[in-house]
Amino acid sequence: MKILNWKILPLLFLFQLAGIMAQGQRPDAVIFPKPTPTRLAVADFSPRTSANPETLSSLEVFNKVLMDDLQFAAFFDIPSRSFYPLKPLRTPADIVYENWQVPTLDVDFLAFGAIQADATTTVVEAYLYDIKTRRQVLGKRYTVTDPALSRRVAHEFADQVVYELSAGASKGVANTKILFSKLRGTEKEIWMMDYDGSNAERITFNGGINKFPEWSSDNKYFTYTSKPDTSNHWSLKIQEVNGESKTIEVNGSYASSPAFSPDGQKIAFSASTPDSRDADVFIANVDGSGMRNLTLHQGIDTSPTWSPTGTQIAFISDRSGGPQVWIMDADGSNLRRLVEEGGHCDSPDWSPNGRFILYSWQAPRQWKHDVYLAEVATGKLYQLTRDFGAGENPHWSPDGRHITFQGTRSGTKQIFIMNADGKHLKQITAYGINESPSWNNYSEAIN
Amino acid sequence: MKRSTIFYLGLFMLSMLLVLSAGCAKKVEPPPPPPPAPEPAPEPVPPARPTITLSASPDSIKKDVEATLTWSSTDADSVVINGGVGNVATSGSVKVSPVESTTYTAVARGEGGEASATARITVIKEQPKVVVKETDLEILQKAMRDGLIKPVFFDYDKSDLSESTKATLEENAKWFRKYQDAQIIVEGHCDERGTEEYNLALGDRRAQASRDYLIELGVSSSRLEAVSYGEERPFVQGTGEEAWAKNRRAHFSLK
Repeated sequence: MKILNWKILPLLFLFQLAGIMAQGQRPDAVIFPKPTPTRLAVADFSPRTSANPETLSSLEVFNKVLMDDLQFAAFFDIPSRSFYPLKPLRTPADIVYENWQVPTLDVDFLAFGAIQADATTTVVEAYLYDIKTRRQVLGKRYTVTDPALSRRVAHEFADQVVYELSAGASKGVANTKILFSKLRGTEKEIWMMDYDGSNAERITFNGGINKFPEWSSDNKYFTYTSKPDTSNHWSLKIQEVNGESKTIEVNGSYASSPAFSPDGQKIAFSASTPDSRDADVFIANVDGSGMRNLTLHQGIDTSPTWSPTGTQIAFISDRSGGPQVWIMDADGSNLRRLVEEGGHCDSPDWSPNGRFILYSWQAPRQWKHDVYLAEVATGKLYQLTRDFGAGENPHWSPDGRHITFQGTRSGTKQIFIMNADGKHLKQITAYGINESPSWNNYSEAIN
Repeated sequence: MKRSTIFYLGLFMLSMLLVLSAGCAKKVEPPPPPPPAPEPAPEPVPPARPTITLSASPDSIKKDVEATLTWSSTDADSVVINGGVGNVATSGSVKVSPVESTTYTAVARGEGGEASATARITVIKEQPKVVVKETDLEILQKAMRDGLIKPVFFDYDKSDLSESTKATLEENAKWFRKYQDAQIIVEGHCDERGTEEYNLALGDRRAQASRDYLIELGVSSSRLEAVSYGEERPFVQGTGEEAWAKNRRAHFSLK
């Protein structure tokens, strides 16, 4: 049963941004709309029948992951657990509705459930109840054979809750993946991790420098820039996730920053060929055929990103001085500058709804880059990171409500995630040097 | 008296008689002295025995180098030297080039006989050793190590070649033109301030600008490969203009 709760509709906050910002004035930050947010209680799940060690260890992981996911989802106002009724909840029969409507809680919804695990099987029963109407919104039973999948089940349920309570506006990001580039020794390889930083695994193995990963829209492939140790050429790779890679041959000393078109048929990239003489934006079919220079122009053109419809490409060009964000049609026509500001820009990423372009900008007289958001139609700018350390290489989450980027506030380059308004910042990598995060898209292909 | 005694007495008496008669004969007149002996004919002088000396200079040589054998003889009609020299004048010199150590014997023959002398020429065997000749690659490697081939530096966000950058490239080009048997990699680098995507393109532009000027200076384009490292391989770690300036460079290495 799907609940359409009027309270959460105003939370589709990106549509609110432009209205909130005073005309012609650059705000310091995106401001979250503050209508009454959905109040959600997330009770610790309980042992279903017996508190054996397998059940307890599953619960420990599940409860933490579910809470983290729902907090980060940025749809809910989750009251502190210290106000929750003490009686554990195992089944809907255990709910005492009045206890969840006392003034300190006054929740709209309650998530709870029970877990029973043994050596071979873990069963999770998970519920979402509407406290006001006393009706069940979700009732799910997940059975997994690997206890390590408790984390995965928590992500699944969190996404279900987000989907139901956002009236379908978001499918949640709890089950999404992030690609990034990790330096170890002199090797920089592409890694993949869960959106919260767990389960990181290396997925390229050429021993060279591999950078700027980007997913295909079906999440089956990713493309990246590679200079194997044995070569003095940068080349473009398209790789099946956990599978074979192929090289897109580019005649020139440099090729970088590939990005799949939304239909998966083409890539846009930057290359310097004997004809172009310096970096220009090209497009080619994914088999390498039909290569075409879209920006035959003196100066550096790089970092292309497709609009979600595939009709436009935003990119970086220094033709006007410092590197700035420019937009053109996907055939190279209708060139225009996104924002008339100075300084240095890089790494634009077009939002899934097409309305915004995210990029890093070192404003004039600033010593570092920060993450900014520009509204494509108006050129209005919103600053999303500030204070300590730089913010570079920003990338949208698939629901357009979150952003990952590479920041230096902890000293070295690490990957962060945050809400699209710059709040709820969370560092998700800690060791080594980690760069160029790329959040995947909505698809069933990645498991 | 016995009969034997009488016999021996008679024999004695007879012999005495004979002895007495002999003494009487020596007292005859002495014969005239014999005529003097004729002068003996002078004996013929025997022919002198030849002499010979032989020397070698130098007496030790390397293979394929000549040495001189010098000899002189007396009382010789002919001189023969072995070791492939053969009949030679009674004195003189000859150049020889033995492939291995040889003892030369010169034999001088004359009426008086023959004489010989020897001289030895030692051929020094060279150890078969690798001919050490530095390759162009090694010479250039050393020049880079010793800082004779220098990196060039750029202004922030620039790939223009300044006058001093050009002067350095001209010095480097002399090395590259002189030692041609080496592939040169022109690496473009950036400081950490820019972003990674832009810097990868900027490093390429710096490498290309440096490579273009080297080609203009006569270094073959087929020997020059440009590659950008963006901000991947800083020359010095750290922040601040001093570190950044050192990291905005084109750097030369060999393939």
